[in-house]
Amino acid sequence: MKRILCVPLDPVHDVGIKLVRNALMQRGHSTVLLSPDLPMESVVKRAASEPYDFVLVSRTLGYGVAELLGRFVDLLDASGVRDRAKVVLGGKAITRELAAELGFDAGFGEHAAIEEVVAFVEGREYAADKGAFVRRKRDMTAPYGYAFHDASIRGLLDEIADKTLHWAERRSSNGVERARLRAEWLDGAPGSAEREGLEARYERTCDPAVVAAMRGGAFPNGVRRISEREMRRLAGFLESRSPVLARSVRHEQQKPLVFKFLGSGCPMLDIVHGRICERWGADGFLLINPSWEARYEGLMQGLLTHDNDGTISSLDNLRLVRESLDPETLLTVRAHRGLNTPETVLLAARAGADLTKIDIVYGSLGAGTDPERLTVDGLEAMRIAARHSMPFDIPGNDELSGVPAWKTLAGLLINVMLGVRLGARPILKPLFCYGPHIVINGQMKHNFVDYNAAKITALRRIVDCPIWPGEPIAFMTQTEERVQSANATSYHAALAMSLGVDAITLASTDEAYSRGPISVAARIDALRAVADAYRFVGDASLAPTPQAAAFCDELVARIAATLLEVSRAESLPAAISAGLLGNQDDGAYPGTFGKGSVH
Amino acid sequence: MASAMDQVMDAIDIETYLVCDSAQHGRALAQALGRELMLGEVDVMYEEFDGYGVRVRLRKYVYRPGNDYGWLGAGDEAAAR
Repeated sequence: MKRILCVPLDPVHDVGIKLVRNALMQRGHSTVLLSPDLPMESVVKRAASEPYDFVLVSRTLGYGVAELLGRFVDLLDASGVRDRAKVVLGGKAITRELAAELGFDAGFGEHAAIEEVVAFVEGREYAADKGAFVRRKRDMTAPYGYAFHDASIRGLLDEIADKTLHWAERRSSNGVERARLRAEWLDGAPGSAEREGLEARYERTCDPAVVAAMRGGAFPNGVRRISEREMRRLAGFLESRSPVLARSVRHEQQKPLVFKFLGSGCPMLDIVHGRICERWGADGFLLINPSWEARYEGLMQGLLTHDNDGTISSLDNLRLVRESLDPETLLTVRAHRGLNTPETVLLAARAGADLTKIDIVYGSLGAGTDPERLTVDGLEAMRIAARHSMPFDIPGNDELSGVPAWKTLAGLLINVMLGVRLGARPILKPLFCYGPHIVINGQMKHNFVDYNAAKITALRRIVDCPIWPGEPIAFMTQTEERVQSANATSYHAALAMSLGVDAITLASTDEAYSRGPISVAARIDALRAVADAYRFVGDASLAPTPQAAAFCDELVARIAATLLEVSRAESLPAAISAGLLGNQDDGAYPGTFGKGSVH
Repeated sequence: MASAMDQVMDAIDIETYLVCDSAQHGRALAQALGRELMLGEVDVMYEEFDGYGVRVRLRKYVYRPGNDYGWLGAGDEAAAR
């Protein structure tokens, strides 16, 4: 047991030292707390009156304060207190160096943990992360049974799924073939003749640019191999650093999980950004590939970096990112568009990713892929995801093209039904932002709460399925101004948390800036802003107005009407091409990559 | 000791308020500020003129994806360990 005198030298701020005192008392130490702002001479007199082991002084640093503190230490010296007591300084803007310079035995700044001060008093080494946030990976799909509550909508979705699966039954593509070849190749013995044969067959299904890259390293502009020296440097960097006082974005809430995008082009930069974001509370990352990669038949191999947006989805890159992040961090790999969807899902699974992203409707309508090709490939991708027990999310970003929310939500539900039929575990990802159709039609004229809330409640009324609004939340409301962007993100995050969604994707505060890559500081801005919002809301919540219920009713009715039209179409690709899930008037156009490639 | 600039992970953002007569004037001042701070050409990420001046956010990339990042260290130490 130590005898401790607690001295708030500050005229106002004494909260910190009271918290320290409480912690010391709980540990059984004897403490005396003086009233704030006593004259220094009185404090020294009190300190000399008892055989204290420690004198803890709290004071915010300001103009002239350093001199005052220096004089205080001199007085303690002169009175003999320093002969038996250690003198410790704490407060805002105090650093260990400054405290030492002024003659204190120790100094603790505003970010120091109370436990750190207690450990010093008790002569123990402080374990920085003891009691700190412990990362735990969570399967957000686990609580859900995928029961459809609305019988008529379930009937329509069953009909659409039957037709779609029947239509796709005898159809295939080079994308499907490559995924099968790749799976065989991965299961084969390295260097075997069987593998060489598989490689030759794989190449025959690829675009010449991919073959040239695989054979001779003739990569597209801006792509190069990562050197061994760079890998050594990365390993050295990661080995020599670890997070200090890692935290959660959430306060006391269990949900939502918080995801950030990665995909700078360079896996090394992605990893370092990812590790830093882990420390600031990100639970997971979505790895984004280059848009051109989706247009090629075939995926490049090796450890590759790219000097523009999007990190190449080679198996080596995916493995490197996965293995370099915290094992408890969730990783999802984008595969919802383009000509390599099944193989990307396979590689993601084999690299150890936790989730993937598949959306036949959005991938066709807003992301450029031919509807027939993406239906065939998307179904195979769902089968692969199911085989690897890897949930997939369905991003409703076709709404960003101008598609009305009810058509996008209908598309999400079709993907859910197809996924469930194929044994996978889908995740709904409705847009949670100020989409173009909403801007034009005024559903968010009075607030950003009601319509976003209505989308979530409409989906919940229809199906028991995890919901992960995106993507990112607050998109279209963020500007290039840092504080505005952070605020917009944090308000939407607070609403998402109030609605009890399972996960959210956060933009960085430079997401609206399109002329350069995301900076790590901008990533931290968003995580900090959301952490503050979650601390602010705590176990309270943001409540929608009664208008949200009216919006919800309207959405459910219109989703049903959209699905009825789709169910009457010959097949899902035919419905997409006919504009039933978004048309040219909305701003959505069926994609053309891979047109005519289904056989 | 490594230069501070080498230790910038990716970008430097400067946020300030420049007294000026117009948005155009503000943009020109922002670019000039970048040069005066020895940053060379900077990108004006955000600007808003309010009649008295501009609230600006400027950005200079020190390292872009795929560059030879100075902060990554030499790496030889890691191999030796």
